[in-house]
Amino acid sequence: MGDRIEIVGIGRTCAKERWTRGLVDLTVEAAGAALDDGGDVSPSAVIVSNALGGALGDQQNLGTFTASSIGLGKVEAHSVSCDEASGGGALRLASALVGAGMHEAVLVVGAEKTSDALPDELETVRANGLDATREAGFGFGPAVASGLGMQRYGAEHGIDRSLFYHLASTAHLHGAKNPFAFLPWELSFDQYIRSPIVADPLTVCDLAPNCDGGAAVLIRKGSGKSSSSVHILGSASVSVPTGISEPITSLSLPAAAQCAMLALRDAGLSIEDLSLLDLHDSSSFIAALSIEAVGLAKRGEALLLARDGHFRFDGPAPLWTFGGLKARGNAPGADGLYQVVEATLQLRGDAGKGQIDGADRALVQCLGSFGATAVTHVLG
Amino acid sequence: MHFARSWRQQSSNLRLVGSRCTSCGAILFPERIRCSGCGSTELEDHRLSGRGTIFTVTTVFEAPRGFESQVPYFAALVELEEGPIICAMLTDVDREDVSVGKKVTMVTRRILAHGDDGPIIYAYKFTPELAG
Ligand SMILES: [Zn+2]
Repeated sequence: MGDRIEIVGIGRTCAKERWTRGLVDLTVEAAGAALDDGGDVSPSAVIVSNALGGALGDQQNLGTFTASSIGLGKVEAHSVSCDEASGGGALRLASALVGAGMHEAVLVVGAEKTSDALPDELETVRANGLDATREAGFGFGPAVASGLGMQRYGAEHGIDRSLFYHLASTAHLHGAKNPFAFLPWELSFDQYIRSPIVADPLTVCDLAPNCDGGAAVLIRKGSGKSSSSVHILGSASVSVPTGISEPITSLSLPAAAQCAMLALRDAGLSIEDLSLLDLHDSSSFIAALSIEAVGLAKRGEALLLARDGHFRFDGPAPLWTFGGLKARGNAPGADGLYQVVEATLQLRGDAGKGQIDGADRALVQCLGSFGATAVTHVLG
Repeated sequence: MHFARSWRQQSSNLRLVGSRCTSCGAILFPERIRCSGCGSTELEDHRLSGRGTIFTVTTVFEAPRGFESQVPYFAALVELEEGPIICAMLTDVDREDVSVGKKVTMVTRRILAHGDDGPIIYAYKFTPELAG
């Protein structure tokens, strides 16, 4: 396993529509909070994750502009972009810089500014996270892909669409306890079932809402001594051939499954050892397949377990303990780092009303391009 | 979809031309410059028949920019008879005639319009095969 990476500082912004904050402001706000939290640890490199900014006409080369705006002076700086897996990807590359001995401490920042764009412009740019020519170019965006997936999931597993409610309601139950969440309220069955259809049977309530947000993590090489601080116990990233047809036809996410398995093996743990998880819930369909991919549920049983309270904070496998993308909000370039920040709060015992008693091991996984990219971290 | 991009894709968009790998025999769509199955660069153009079946389908009510005027539209995964599964809209069909397993065939239709005076992009859509 080698020397573990220690998470010494974390920061996040509210995941809302932040009219007074631009993209660089969001990175600075989150990064500043992580630096303050990290005490006297000073990073010599900055990696910034962002998925959409360049395509939306916003700041490019965010690594350097963020470092400059925080006032870090002379540092190494890069930007990382791999759709909604960008945050996880940035942390993994930052860990590699530390692990290789190239830097003592690295600041990892993720941010997305979605509220400046018109909704149809945003959806067009988000769709290019899928195959830009053969999918997005033919009117297929993430919502359409998930609608097709839900259609097939229901038909193949003999499941009524109303059962998908239990995924969204679990996320909202937890998001209601998170003051930084975009939609911090519980979701009733009535609200869910009356929600407008986007791509039959998928409704607005099956999609994580786009929001603005930033999250940051300051890491350094672990001291090796056992301490109360949080470490990265294992990690992995897997990309598989792209295309929305694979998850829809196979009703599985091969990258997510392989990636979780490798990260757990890296940590020397099994899924039963985890106190909590955060998986990618950009849509109800992706959430269901993610739960099944990491081994929390057998094929076709994710919704049944959710219905039975399995993933609630008081259940056997707490999931999305700060609301996930569905309730906390989806700021694509920051998603993977929100997960790490929130899991770290749990492991520190600082999760407030959403605290899982005795939390000591967490797995977080983010996905890009409809599951073609997966990044997993195991923390403890 | 930009104008130059759609020009580059015209053989696949208008005639459903893909590639056949002469090394491993894989049929690929759209055209490739390297076989995604075996890595060979020995590929030849291979025009697909345009016949297939609906693998799964959804009705879209909220569309990305450029597709709004077509809402609601049917978005389907179509399994071509040569094997590849592609994303395509269904056209000239009523809701009650859209079902999984239905045989469909390719037609050329307007896919995307850029405003009133921008370029219009034509490409494949699918429609139910006539019975008999
Ligand atoms: Zn080949």
